[in-house]
Amino acid sequence: MKKLHIPVEHTKLANGLRVVVSPDHSAPFVTVGVYYQIGFRLEPRGRSGFAHLFEHMMFQGSENAGKMEHIRLINSSGGLLNGTTNYDITNYFEAVPSNALERVLWLEADRMRALKVDDENLRNQRDVVKEEVRVNVMNQPYGGFPWLDLPPVAFRNWPNAHNFYGDFADLDAATLEDVRSFFHTYYAPNNAVLLVLGDVDPPESIALAERYFEGIPPNPMPPPADVSEPPQTEERRGEVPENFGPLPALAIGYTMPPRETNEWFAAAILDRVLHGGRAGRIYRELVLEKQIAVDADGGAELLDTNGPTQMVTRIFHKPEFTTDAVIAAFDSIIREVQEKEITMEELDPVKVKFRSDYYSMLEGGMGSYMPRFGLMHYLACFTLFDGDPNRVNTILDGFLGVTPAQTQAVARKYLVPRNRAILARRPVSTGVSQ
Amino acid sequence: MSTPSAIDSQNKMAPRLGAELPLAWPKRTVRTLASGMQVVLAESRAFPKISAQLAFRSGNAVAAHCSPGLAEMTATVVRTGTASRSSRRIEEDLRRMGANLGTTAGADTSAISVSGLAEFSSGLLELMADLARNASFPEDEFERERRQKIEELRVERTTPGFLASERMRRVLFGDHPYAIVSPSLEDVAAYKREELAKFYREHYVPPNVLLIVVGDFESGTMLEEIERTFGGWSAEEPESPEELLPPRYSGRHVHLVHLPGSVQTQLLVANLAITRRDPDWYRLMLANSIYGGAFHSRLVANIREQKGYTYSPRSSLSALRHYGYFTVHAAVRHEVVAATLTEIFYELDRIRSLSVTQEELDGARSYLSGVFSLGVATQDGLLGQLSTIYLDRLPEDYLETYRARIHALTADDVLTAARRHFDSPDAQIILVGDREQIADQAAVFGDVETFDAQGNPI
Repeated sequence: MKKLHIPVEHTKLANGLRVVVSPDHSAPFVTVGVYYQIGFRLEPRGRSGFAHLFEHMMFQGSENAGKMEHIRLINSSGGLLNGTTNYDITNYFEAVPSNALERVLWLEADRMRALKVDDENLRNQRDVVKEEVRVNVMNQPYGGFPWLDLPPVAFRNWPNAHNFYGDFADLDAATLEDVRSFFHTYYAPNNAVLLVLGDVDPPESIALAERYFEGIPPNPMPPPADVSEPPQTEERRGEVPENFGPLPALAIGYTMPPRETNEWFAAAILDRVLHGGRAGRIYRELVLEKQIAVDADGGAELLDTNGPTQMVTRIFHKPEFTTDAVIAAFDSIIREVQEKEITMEELDPVKVKFRSDYYSMLEGGMGSYMPRFGLMHYLACFTLFDGDPNRVNTILDGFLGVTPAQTQAVARKYLVPRNRAILARRPVSTGVSQ
Repeated sequence: MSTPSAIDSQNKMAPRLGAELPLAWPKRTVRTLASGMQVVLAESRAFPKISAQLAFRSGNAVAAHCSPGLAEMTATVVRTGTASRSSRRIEEDLRRMGANLGTTAGADTSAISVSGLAEFSSGLLELMADLARNASFPEDEFERERRQKIEELRVERTTPGFLASERMRRVLFGDHPYAIVSPSLEDVAAYKREELAKFYREHYVPPNVLLIVVGDFESGTMLEEIERTFGGWSAEEPESPEELLPPRYSGRHVHLVHLPGSVQTQLLVANLAITRRDPDWYRLMLANSIYGGAFHSRLVANIREQKGYTYSPRSSLSALRHYGYFTVHAAVRHEVVAATLTEIFYELDRIRSLSVTQEELDGARSYLSGVFSLGVATQDGLLGQLSTIYLDRLPEDYLETYRARIHALTADDVLTAARRHFDSPDAQIILVGDREQIADQAAVFGDVETFDAQGNPI
C-alpha cells in the first residue's frame, strides 16, 4: 500500500489568524481558502438562514473592492471563486493561476478587515437567496430531503434543529445591523484559518499572509455556545409532504459518536459497510435483492462537522410498500450487524474503498474544476476543530485500524431506536396523470 | 510562483498580476492497437489513483428512431453481469480495488468509466475489459433495471430543469435523433433483452472505442498492460447511420410546460449554434463568457446582482458531435418572467450590436485561459478534456494551442460570433411553470404552445 504524504506547514499570526500552506509544484495554480468558524448552527435565533445570507453579503464588496469587484478581479485573473455555508464553518475560496496569489490574498484580507455593504445590497441578496431556496428546495422533487427535513425531527437544541436555509419571514427580518454585528462577532482573524495550496513557497506565502492580514485586529470571541443535545429517550418520527415526486421517501438518521473518539472511527467504517453504493448492505438488500426500493444510500458528514451529526440513510421506495414494511426490512439489516461480527473479508475491502475515497476527496472534491478543494477543506477542518492540520496525514490510521468487534459494539450502542429519527416524505400525488 | 510586487503602502489597490506562467501540458501517449482500438494515456502522479474511460462512439442517437434510450439501457445492464462475474461479484471486486464504476450513454457515446487506486490498475483494466467484451445481460437483472428506470423517469418528469431541456431539444431538433433526451415509459416497457445484447455486439467493438487512462502510472508499462488485457479482441466497425438534418425554425416561439403547483419558473432561451470543430468555436466561447458564461458576465451582473430575479442565471454552449446549441437559463419567481426575458434579450441584442470594451475583452480572455488550465489540474478534469479532444477528433495540439488562440481574439471576433450564433430573432423560449401564473407574460414574447409534463400538447 502506497502511503500518501501531504506536506503541511502552518503558523499563527500575531492577531490569531492561523495560516496553513501545502506546496505542490505539479502545475502553476494555487487554491486559497479562508474558513471562518461559524456556520448555520450558531446563527442568531429568529434569524434562521442568516449565516448563509451573510455568506452572500461577503461577495457584495469591501472597502477597497466594491460590488462585483471581487468577482471581476478573480475571474479576470483566470480563476474561479465561491463560498459555502456549513454547520460549523463558512468558507470562501478561489482557484487561480499562481501569478494571482497576491491579488487573492489582498481581496480576502480586504473583506476580512472591512466589509462594506448597504441596504440595497441586502435587499438584492435577500431576493437572490429566496430564488436559491426555491430552485434548490421548494420547486424541486425531494428538495431539501433530508438535510433540511430531518434535523428538526432528530434534534431538540435550536442550533441543531432549525431551518438552515431560513424561513422567508426570518430572511425578511434581517437588517443591515444584523449583518454588521455578525461580521463584527465572528469574522475576526482569530476565528479563521487561511489556506494556501499549490504552486507556492511556504515561507513566502506566510510572509504574504503577514503582509496582508496581520494588520487586521483580533476580536474577543463570545463564550462557546452550547450545541449539545439533551439525552434522547425514544425514537423520533416526522412527516413532510412531497409536492412533486411520485415516490415515497424515508430518511433514517442515527446520531453519531463524538468526533475523533474510537467509537467515531468505528461508526464511520460501519457506515461504509452499510452504505457506499451498490456493494453496501443496504443497497444490496433493499434495491437489488428485496427490490423494495428504487434507490437507497447514505452516510455521515464526518470530517467537516463539529457538533451533533447523524448517519443518514435515504430510501426512495416503491409505493406498494408501506413505511412500516420498509423500516422492517431496514431493521433486519441493522440487526445483522448487531448480532454478527462483520468478517475481515468484508471489512478489508471497505477500508480499501475508504482510503481511495479519501484520496479522491483530497484531489478534487468539488466537481473536477477546483483542484485540491477537498485537501483545503479537510486542512481547514483539522485546524479549526482539532488544532492540527497534520491530521490530514494521520487520520486514515484511525479508520483503517477499526476491528470487527468495534463495529459490532458501535452498532449495538448507537444503531438503536432511541438514538434515531425517521422522516417520511409522502407524495401528495402519484405524479403520473398530471 | 508569485513574487510580491510593488503595492500601494496602504493596500488600497489590488496587486497587479504577474505574467501568465508557462504550463507544462501533460504529455500524452497515443496509440492505435491492431484491433483498431485507440488508446490515450496521460500521467498525473500527485495522488495514487487512476481514472479510466472506455468510450464507444455510439450513443442513444444511433438507435433513437427504433428504440429511444436503448444505448443508455444497454450501458446500465452492462454492469450487472459478465460470463464469469455476477452482479454482486462485480460490485465487490470494485470495492476491493477502491473503485467507482459508471456505465452510461449520452447522445453520441456510450462509456464504461472507472476510477480507483493505482495499486489495482491491472485488476481495474481487466474488469473494464470484461465488461466491454463479455457482458451477459442476465434476464433478472435486466428486468430489475427496467423497473427501476421507469421509476427514475417518473421522478425526472417532475424536475423543472429536466422538463425544460427536454422540451428545448425537441424544439431545436425536431425529427433529428438529438431531439430525444429520454425515453418514454412505453419505450422502456418495450425494450427487449435481445435488443440490448445486439446493440452491445454491434457497438461495443474495438474500432469504435477510445480508451483513456489518466493517473499515477508509467505510460510504457501501462501501455503493455493494456495490450495484454485487450489483446485478441476484434470486430468490425459498426455502420454509421445516415446523418439527418435538424429542422429549420424561424421566429421567436414560446413553449410552455405546465407544471401545476410550481413556485418558480424554469426559463430557457435557446438556438442552434455550432460544434467544436467550427472555425467560430473559440470566438463564440469568448462571446458566451462575456454574455453569461461566467460569474462576472453581463447577464449575471444584470439579472442577479442588480435585479435579484434569480440565483443561478447562466448561458452555455453545448456541442454534440454533429450539431451544437446555445442556451440561456435561469429559474425565477413567477412575477418576473417577462422582466427577465426582457433583460436576456436586451443583453443578447447589446452584445450583437456593440463592441465589448477592452477591459471586458481582456478579462474574458484571461478567464477562459486560466479556467481551461485549472480544468486539467485534476485526474477527472484531465480525463474529461482528453475525452472531448479525441472523441470530437480535435487537433492533437488542442491543449497546447488553446491559450494562444484565446489570447489572439479581438472585440470584432466577439461581435462576429454573437451576430452569427446568438440568434435572438429566432430564439426559442421554453418556460416550465404554472401556466395560470405565467401565460400572460409568456404571450408578450410570441405564440405560446402549451404542453403537460408528459409532453402532450394541452
